[in-house]
Amino acid sequence: MGAFDFLLQGLATAAEPMMLLYALIGVTLGTAVGVLPGIGPALTVALLLPVTYRLDAAGSLIMFAGIYYGGMYGGSTTSILLNTPGESASIITALEGNKMARKGRGGPALATAAIGSFIAGLIATLLLAFLAPSIVKVALVFGPREYFALMVLAFVTVSAAFGDSALRGLTSLFLGLALACVGIDQLTGQARLSFGVPELLDGIEVTTMAVAMFAVGEALFIAGQRNVQADEVTAVKGSIWMSRADWARSWKPWLRGTFLGFPIGAMPAGGAEIGTFLSYATEKKLTKHPEEFGEGAIEGVAGPEAANNASAAGTLVPLLTLGLPTSATAAIMLAGFQQFGLQPGPLLFATNPTLVWGLIASLLIANAMLLVLNLPMIGLWVKLLTVPKPWLYAGILLFATLGTIGANPSSFELGMLLAFGVLGYVMRLFGYPIAPIVVGLILGPMAEQQLRRALSISQGDWTTLVQSPIAAVLLGIAALALIVPLILRARGKGQVLSQLAGDED
Amino acid sequence: MTSPEPQNQRRRDTAALVVAAGLAVIAGVMLWDSARLADLGGYSGVGPASVPRVVAFGLLGLSLWTVIAALKGDFPERPAQNVPPVLWIIAGLAAQLLLLHVTGFSIATGVLFAFTARAFGKTNLAMTLPIGIVFAFAVWAVFSQLLMLHLPAGPLEHLLFPGA
Amino acid sequence: MKQFVLASLFAGALAMPAMADYTIIAPANPGGGWDQTARTMQTVMQEEGISPSAQVQNVPGAGGTIGLAQFASQNKGNADALIVGGYVMVGAILTNNSPVSLKDVTPIARLTGEYEAIVVPAASPIQDMKGLVEALKADPGAVSWAGGSAGGTDHIAVGLIAKAAGVDPTKINYIAYSGGGEALAAILGNQVTAGVSSLGEFDAQIKAGTLRLLAVSSPERIEGVDAPTLKEAGLDVELQNWRMVAAAPGLSDEQKAKVTADVEKMVKSENWQKQLSDKGWADTYLSGADFDAQLEKDVTSTEAVLKDIGLVK
Repeated sequence: MGAFDFLLQGLATAAEPMMLLYALIGVTLGTAVGVLPGIGPALTVALLLPVTYRLDAAGSLIMFAGIYYGGMYGGSTTSILLNTPGESASIITALEGNKMARKGRGGPALATAAIGSFIAGLIATLLLAFLAPSIVKVALVFGPREYFALMVLAFVTVSAAFGDSALRGLTSLFLGLALACVGIDQLTGQARLSFGVPELLDGIEVTTMAVAMFAVGEALFIAGQRNVQADEVTAVKGSIWMSRADWARSWKPWLRGTFLGFPIGAMPAGGAEIGTFLSYATEKKLTKHPEEFGEGAIEGVAGPEAANNASAAGTLVPLLTLGLPTSATAAIMLAGFQQFGLQPGPLLFATNPTLVWGLIASLLIANAMLLVLNLPMIGLWVKLLTVPKPWLYAGILLFATLGTIGANPSSFELGMLLAFGVLGYVMRLFGYPIAPIVVGLILGPMAEQQLRRALSISQGDWTTLVQSPIAAVLLGIAALALIVPLILRARGKGQVLSQLAGDED
Repeated sequence: MTSPEPQNQRRRDTAALVVAAGLAVIAGVMLWDSARLADLGGYSGVGPASVPRVVAFGLLGLSLWTVIAALKGDFPERPAQNVPPVLWIIAGLAAQLLLLHVTGFSIATGVLFAFTARAFGKTNLAMTLPIGIVFAFAVWAVFSQLLMLHLPAGPLEHLLFPGA
Repeated sequence: MKQFVLASLFAGALAMPAMADYTIIAPANPGGGWDQTARTMQTVMQEEGISPSAQVQNVPGAGGTIGLAQFASQNKGNADALIVGGYVMVGAILTNNSPVSLKDVTPIARLTGEYEAIVVPAASPIQDMKGLVEALKADPGAVSWAGGSAGGTDHIAVGLIAKAAGVDPTKINYIAYSGGGEALAAILGNQVTAGVSSLGEFDAQIKAGTLRLLAVSSPERIEGVDAPTLKEAGLDVELQNWRMVAAAPGLSDEQKAKVTADVEKMVKSENWQKQLSDKGWADTYLSGADFDAQLEKDVTSTEAVLKDIGLVK
C-alpha cells in the first residue's frame, strides 16, 4: 500500500460522524483554553491530554489533534481583539491585528487569521506527510553557526517593528536583551543578574513578560487616558467578512508565511516565533501599501498567522522522524503519542504506517474543523469589543492573571506581571514600541548560546561563522538588509523605505 | 517619517533625561554583575560575562543618545494622564498578589476585577465586588474542577467544593 | 456513546473526592521528565483509586530547586503533598547553592531510572570507547561533547569519564544544550564529536544505525543493548539518572508508612507497569533504608565531581 492509500484510509476513518464529533470537542476545548493569555499550547495540551486517554486510539488521536491546533489558534483571537497575545508566537499578530480591530476591521483580521491558519496547516501537514524524511535531512545540516546566522537575520528584521524612531526601537530591543541575561547561563551554569533571588535563576518567563507588557500595560495606558474620545474603539465598520481586496491582499502572505514558517518550525532549534518575525518583515518589504503598516495592514496579520501555524506542523517533522521534541509542546505531544503506542523515530513511517497516517489524517480533519468552528464565531468574537470598558478590562486582567497563576502560582511571578505591566505602561507613555523588548528577550539567549556553542566547537576560531555556506549566505542577506536601505537613503531614495530609516534627528 | 519635529526645538525634556539616567543605571548594574562572574569561557573565548558587557555598553550608548534627543526636544509629547485610574488598577493587581494565597483565587481576583472596573468608571464597589467574586469563582470552578488546572483555593472554594 | 463522551469530559467534575487526595508537585515546566512522571502518577493513582482526584502542580525553576524549596516550606507535616524529583536535583542543589536540600524533605522511593549512553555519529571515525578516550587524551579541546544543561547528569558523566581516563576534567569541551532533543540534533548533524544522554533518547537512532553506541553507564550490560559498560571499557564510572518521589518534611512514622504504602500500591499496579513500558522507562523501584543509602552515596560522589569540573567551589 502506498502513502496515498494509507492517507485515504486514515481520512475515511477520521471522517466518521463520531470522529468528527471528537474533533469538534477537541478543537473547542483547545481554543477555549488556548485563548487565555499566558496559557500557551504547551500547557493547553498538557492540561487536556488526560481527557483523550478515556477514548479509543483513533478517537483520542483525533481529539488530541484538535486540541493541538485549537490551542495554537486560540492565541491569535485575543491578540487581534484585545492586544493580548496568548503566547509568544502571536505577538507579531497583535501589531497589525489589533490596529485593524480598533478600526472596526476585527472581522476581516480574524477571518484572514483563521483562513491563513487553515491553508498553512493544510499545506504544511501535506508537506509533513510526503516530505518529512527529506526535510529533516536538510534541517540537521543546521548547526550552531547556521542558527546563529539565522538569529542575526531575525534581529535585523526586528527593525521592521521599530515604529517611527530608531532610538526608541533600539532602546526597547536592548532592554529586552538586558532582561534576557537574567538567570542561569545555559552553557556554564553561572547565575547572572539574579542577585541571589532563586526565582530569577531560570530567567524571565517570556509569556509572563508578554502578557504583562501587552495586557496589563495596555489596560493601564487606556485607563490613564484623560481624553476618552481619543481612544474610541469601533467594533464593526463595514462588513465583518473579508472583502475582495482583503482576499487579494491576503493570499500571497498566506503562502509566503507557510513557506517561511514550515522549514523554520522543522529545524530543531528554530522556534515558532522566528518564522512570524521573518514573515512580518517580508510582508512589510513587499506590500503595495507600506503606509498602512503600523496602522492595521491585513498582510501583517495574514503572513505571521500562516507562519505560526505552518511551524506548528513543522515541529512534527523532527518529532515524528527523529523522535526529537524540539519545544515544550512537542515534548508533551511525544508523551501523548507514546500513550497511543506510537514510538516516534527514524523507523516510524516504516513500522507503524496505520497510526502515522491516522495521525496525519486527524491533523487534516482537525484543521478543517478549526475553520468550521471559528468562521461562524467571528461575529460573536467581534461583539467582545462592544462590551463596556469597565467589564472588558476587568475581564482581561482576570484572565491574564488566571493564565499566569495557572502556569506558576507563585507570588513572585504575579509580582513580575505587575512590575512589567508598569514598565509596559511607562514605555507606551514615552512612545517606546513594545514588540522589540519581547523579541529581544526571546532572541537574545538563542543567539548568545548558538554563538558560544559555535565558538566552543571551533575552539575560539571566529572564522568558523562564515565557513559554512549556509551561515555565510544568511549573514550576507542580513548584511544586505541592513546596508541597502542606508545606501538607498544616501542616494535620496529614502522615501520608499522611510519606515526603516525612521529617525532623522 | 523623515520630517523632524519643528515645535519647540529647545524644550528640555526632564522626563526623558530620567529615562536616560535609568538606562545608564541598568548598564552599570550589568557591568558590576558581570565583573563578579567567573571567567568560564572555556574553549569558545566568549564567557558568561561577555554578552552582558556588550549589552551594557549598548545601553550606555543609547543613554547618551537619549540625552541628546532630550536636550534637542526630540521626544514626542506625552498624552495627558489621569493618574487615579492607573493607581486603582495597580492597587487591584497588588491586592490580588497579596490575597491570593490567603483568601484563595476567587476573592483575590474579585478584588482585582472590582478595582479595574472602578478605574474605568464603575465606582460602586458594593456592586462590582460581588460580581467580580462570583465571576472569578465560576472561572475557578471551570478551570480547577473541570480542567484540573491548579489554582489556589481559599475559604470560599473550600466551602462550595469541600475537596478542593 | 454520546453519554460516554459527556461522562469522559465531566468525569473530573463528577469525581468529587471523598478522601484526602494527593497534590503532586512537578518542579519543572510541562513537558519534561519530572512533569511526565508526575502526570503519569496522577493518571495511575486516579485509575487505581489510590487518589481519585490527584492533582499536578508545576512549580518550575532552577533544576527543581525552586519547587523543592517551596514544597519544603509550605507543606510541613502535610501527608497529602508529594514532589517528584531526581538525580538532576542533586547537582542543581549544589550548583545553585540552594538553601533547601533533599534532607529537608522525606524521600519515599526511587521510581524509574535511565542509564547514560555515550554515542558518536555513524560517520565518525571513532569506533569504540577506546578510540574516544585516545582522542580525548591527545587533545581534550578537540573532542566536543553534546549533552544536557551545564552541571546536569550528562555533564557529570563526561566529567567522570575524563577523570577516570586520567584527563583533567576542567579541560573537557562540553557543549550544553537546553534539552535532549537539541543535543541529539547536533550529534546527528555531525556538529560535535560525541554525545551523552539517557539511553532512551538515543535508542531509536541507534537501532536505525544513524548513531554508534560506544558504552553505557550501567553496572552490568543491559539486556538487548549491544554495547559494553564503561567499566568493561576500562573506565570506573557508573551513573543512573533516576527519578523519585518525596513527601513533605515533618511527617509522623505512620504518615510516612501510609504514603510509602500508597506509592508501592501504585508501582505494583499493572497500570503503572504498562505506562512504564509505553514510555520506555525502566522500573528501578527502591524504597526505605536502601534508597536512603543510595541517595547519600549519590550526593557525595556528585559533589566531588562537580568540584572537579569547576562548577562548585
